[in-house]
Amino acid sequence: MRTRRLIIAGLLVSVMLTAGCATRPTFTTKAEKFPLMYAERPMTILVLPPINSTTAADAKEYYSTTISAPLAYKGYYVLPMEVTGDILKAQGLYDTEMIGNQPLDRFGQYFGADAVLFTHIRKWDKSYLVLSATLTVSVDATLKSTKTNQVLWRYSGTIVANLSGNNSGGGLAGLVAQVVVTAVNSAVADYVPYARLANTQLLYTIPVGKYHARTGLDGEDKFVDQAPNRGPAGE
Amino acid sequence: MKLRALLALTAIILAGCATTTRKPIVYYYGNYEQAYYHNKKDNTPASAEKYRKALEDVIQTSEKKGLRVPPGIYCEYGYLLSRQGSADADRYFNLEVATYPESEHFVAFLKTQIKQN
Repeated sequence: MRTRRLIIAGLLVSVMLTAGCATRPTFTTKAEKFPLMYAERPMTILVLPPINSTTAADAKEYYSTTISAPLAYKGYYVLPMEVTGDILKAQGLYDTEMIGNQPLDRFGQYFGADAVLFTHIRKWDKSYLVLSATLTVSVDATLKSTKTNQVLWRYSGTIVANLSGNNSGGGLAGLVAQVVVTAVNSAVADYVPYARLANTQLLYTIPVGKYHARTGLDGEDKFVDQAPNRGPAGE
Repeated sequence: MKLRALLALTAIILAGCATTTRKPIVYYYGNYEQAYYHNKKDNTPASAEKYRKALEDVIQTSEKKGLRVPPGIYCEYGYLLSRQGSADADRYFNLEVATYPESEHFVAFLKTQIKQN
């Protein structure tokens, strides 16, 4: 009896684990999707000030503090934004939008950058629906070569987080408590931790760089060719 | 006995799931990202001090642990010193170049920019 139970439990565990492994239909590999990354092998990245198309004026500055470290962990030499930002301003470049389609060779020439990262903040907002509140951070990124101006890599990350407390109570008292919790949570909720989560998603597909142990070896890594809409915080 | 077999089975299946062994880069950022963000947000003498201390901590702790200081940190700290008029700035700029040779071009450009201002 005991043996049989163990076998059944074992089978169940295996089924659950293999279910976790199950492949979804539209897989692509990094090398297939971003061949130029492997052809050019950029090492040094200049992250330009984010382009902000949201109404949150402070998003640009806040977001810019979150992107360098995760990019460094991907194996790149990332120029310090605190320094490059000031230099760009001193050169009269206040907004990345000003670059438009101009050639990027100057960034190679002056900054020694192999590639330039454009980030675009698409969403940085909270929305309130009667008794709940959600916070959304959505960012696109494009890495362009300073040698050829070509797009080397492009992806996006979106986090939708539910800021409401868990709805525990029933009745009117429960409702009132829920409203209070939602109001408090969303008032103090900080965007930056969610921006960091969005970056994790954003950078998931970037082929890793020189300082990463797997540099040049991740071409066959598979991923689903679409940025998922919901991250771990967004149920 | 049976339990051990079950554990072994589980381990084999899990191993099948894992893509390839990863040796993640180890950097020590300490409180840097947090302090940098709060300095942007609050922009007070207290937040600036925390930001400066966070940079110092990244450098000191990384060196103590025998880790490579993360990209740009020596340079960022040197830049902070240069804005405060400290003669120590160059030392950190040079450490950036020694740690990351690919930064040489940028650091040279930065030095010309600082001299101009």
